[in-house]
Amino acid sequence: MQAFVQAVEGSAINQWVMGSAWAWPIMEILHFMGLSLLLGALLVIDLRMAGFIRRINIVATHKLLPWVFIGFGINLVTGFLFVMGDPARYTANIGFWWKMILVLVAGLNALWFWLKINDEMKTWEPHADTPAVAKVIAWVSLGCWFGVMLLGRLIPYIGTG
Amino acid sequence: MFEWLEGTSVAIWVAESLWGYPFMLGLHVIGLAIVVGTFVMRDLRLLGFFEGIQYDSLDSLRKLGWAGFLVNAVSGCFLFSSQATTFIHSTPFLLKISMIFLAAIMGGVIQNRLRNEGTSWGGAGAAAGSVRILASLSIALWMGAIIAGRLTAYL
Repeated sequence: MQAFVQAVEGSAINQWVMGSAWAWPIMEILHFMGLSLLLGALLVIDLRMAGFIRRINIVATHKLLPWVFIGFGINLVTGFLFVMGDPARYTANIGFWWKMILVLVAGLNALWFWLKINDEMKTWEPHADTPAVAKVIAWVSLGCWFGVMLLGRLIPYIGTG
Repeated sequence: MFEWLEGTSVAIWVAESLWGYPFMLGLHVIGLAIVVGTFVMRDLRLLGFFEGIQYDSLDSLRKLGWAGFLVNAVSGCFLFSSQATTFIHSTPFLLKISMIFLAAIMGGVIQNRLRNEGTSWGGAGAAAGSVRILASLSIALWMGAIIAGRLTAYL
């Protein structure tokens, strides 16, 4: 980790992030917008998959997926730039690592959704209850992403080694 | 008055206890994701995105959206109390509050129009022109509130 921090510090990308007074706040603004899109679209998909708001056509919820990916993409890029800008701070922070673990779990959960449910969903009754596996995936997704947000917001306050 | 507020025991708890401020910030980001997320999704649908999901079905998330709004109003009051004399003179903060106020009004107007006229829009494509303008304004105000809110920490 020490080697990683040393390699990043002084790199062109590190200089770019830290060199401008505006880069950091602009990236934070984008990170907040990204999380709103990601969570907004996921709330609709996951709450419906968990069996709530049955007025929403579950077969059509896949149309929200691009917005999940747009939000995630914005936050992946800005998040990567945060780490490049201040590698020592993030790699020493236990909150950051727990956040990354939760992002990974959320990713594996999304993969499970893709393999297990995505195709089958097209044949479901649009306004009916959902199978147990869909409910589990939905709650794991919501739990992970709310945990990610909370840990992310608390990075400045927890365990900086 | 703001000096008095800053001196109350609640404000001092938020400002000085180990977890008071981070706890309120944590609630504030969760509330933000819920209120901005659900309202912006509704607005994007009114603008014609993700056709196939009916407008009025998406409007059934409004209670959840307002719950997020309430979480942020309450946690926001706690956060404000801890630095009231600073925040009340911060231009980005005052802009943020104004934009949230307008966005809430916009949310109420959109909901009313959805309830009264929504079924006649047929549920496909985009909403009527005037509603699309309201939806665009709502998105712009929420994004503006995020921008001003973040800049409150910098300016």
